[in-house]
Amino acid sequence: MENYIEKIQIRKSNKLAGLYPSTKALIVLMYAVCTFIVNTIEVTDIGLPLFLIPQFLVILILCKASGVLGRCIKALNTVAVVALIILLVQTFLVPGGDLIWRFGILRIYERGLRTAVSLSFLIMNIAGIFVWLFQTTENKEISRALEDSGMNYKAAYVFTSTLQMIEILGRNSKTIMNAQKARGVETEGNLIVRAKAFFPSLVPLILGAVISSEERVLTLEARGFTMQGPKTHLFELKKSGWEGKAAAASVLITVLLLAGRIMLWLL
Amino acid sequence: MAVVIECKDVTYYYPLTEKPAVEDLNLKIESGKFYGVVGENGAGKTTFCALLRGFAPGFYKGELKGEVLVEGKKTIEYGGELSAKIGYVFQNPFTQISGVKDTVFEEVAYGLENFGVPVEEIERRVIEVMKMTDIEALAEKNPFDLSGGQMQRVALASVIVLEPDILIIDEPTSQLDPEGTESVFRIIKALKDRKKTIILVEHKIDLIAEYADEVLVFEKGHLIKSGDKEKILSDISLLDRGVSLPQVAILGAKLKEKGFPLRKIPVTEDQAVRMIRESLKEGKQDA
Repeated sequence: MENYIEKIQIRKSNKLAGLYPSTKALIVLMYAVCTFIVNTIEVTDIGLPLFLIPQFLVILILCKASGVLGRCIKALNTVAVVALIILLVQTFLVPGGDLIWRFGILRIYERGLRTAVSLSFLIMNIAGIFVWLFQTTENKEISRALEDSGMNYKAAYVFTSTLQMIEILGRNSKTIMNAQKARGVETEGNLIVRAKAFFPSLVPLILGAVISSEERVLTLEARGFTMQGPKTHLFELKKSGWEGKAAAASVLITVLLLAGRIMLWLL
Repeated sequence: MAVVIECKDVTYYYPLTEKPAVEDLNLKIESGKFYGVVGENGAGKTTFCALLRGFAPGFYKGELKGEVLVEGKKTIEYGGELSAKIGYVFQNPFTQISGVKDTVFEEVAYGLENFGVPVEEIERRVIEVMKMTDIEALAEKNPFDLSGGQMQRVALASVIVLEPDILIIDEPTSQLDPEGTESVFRIIKALKDRKKTIILVEHKIDLIAEYADEVLVFEKGHLIKSGDKEKILSDISLLDRGVSLPQVAILGAKLKEKGFPLRKIPVTEDQAVRMIRESLKEGKQDA
């Protein structure tokens, strides 16, 4: 007989990747706090928060140490594109302060450069730590942890099914697009053509999702979703053993950083 | 036989409707019998199923007159525990996937988790049901990656695993190909052999003729006929009321009309072959 219960468990040999989801959430929170502290440390003549850039190395080291660097780089690339766009737009469009550089119609002002660097690297850092969280944690680990932390099982269901539904809706939208294409709706081409195809493909998608949610409620009801009493969980959430150390380290680093920052002010 | 579900003067209105979806329904469902439910689209078959399961008015709201009793207790007085008594499977296989599980094994186990069944027992029961419904080979697949027929089998398995005594199955094969239909009916047959009470809505009338014990005929919200399948399905007058009858019953009626000596009108293929053969033999002996 096959051991299916064993097969659905998630076993991670990496101690960092295998941290309990709530510990990871604490790390994410502390990292975000650190990022905002670092953002206040302004260097150079025009006060750029340049330390945010080397801080990003922490993300890469964390991903590498968790053994998911390859997957994280892919996700981080997408974040980097967004951050780059913000960097350029902010740099060239926000006026204020001294003019630093000009070439033809392009001008860079002091304030523009400052907000650009600050905003884009804040995004890189905070999105980066979330990338680490989601690349090392599976949805069912998160929902299980949420339920264990006392969240209502209905809310936990909504969370998990939302994550799953994103994929399903993506698939459905492709089916609908193909169906509309077969009826002569143009779905490929320039921006205007695509915008025109937006409604005929989106409306059936959303209506279909609404209608099927009614049947899904009945399905859940038939499976005893509202049954009173304790539920069994086939999936067991394991701790990796480093939870205490990791939590202590992240809090300690944050406190030290904060203390250092206050010292800088006072001096 | 013991009555498991009873409808007393049931009339039901969906919210914001003036016309009842089901009207003056009086019926007793007996334990261990297989009921085939037939009728035109919009005749009230699905509403009937929802009433028996308590989804109407429990989920759909609306107005219910009369009483629907499951084992002597009104459906509206039950909470979640009705799911342990009555299994419910419906048309669309895609919406019958819970949407929170990654593998077929977990999907089938989901109901038992909700019931709080111990882990070892869940594993044993799920494996047993997966064997019965022929989905064990799919156990580690994502339920959304399956074909319609496979999904419908998973949906059936997810309900059967709860071991309800009564199963309500609403057009399980309407979106399936012939192969999928056949696999679903193999499962329904196995359930019948286990003496489950089954209420099946199905348009494929030949399958009803093959498997059902009793047939319930709905028309415009009314239960117009009910009783033994051979009596009901050989009633040619039902054809005029929009009810489809087995091909062989129509054949039998036509033969009789032309003076062919049939004892009675057959409803299944086996019966038809046997009866016609007998009649032909008798004919030869007479000659």
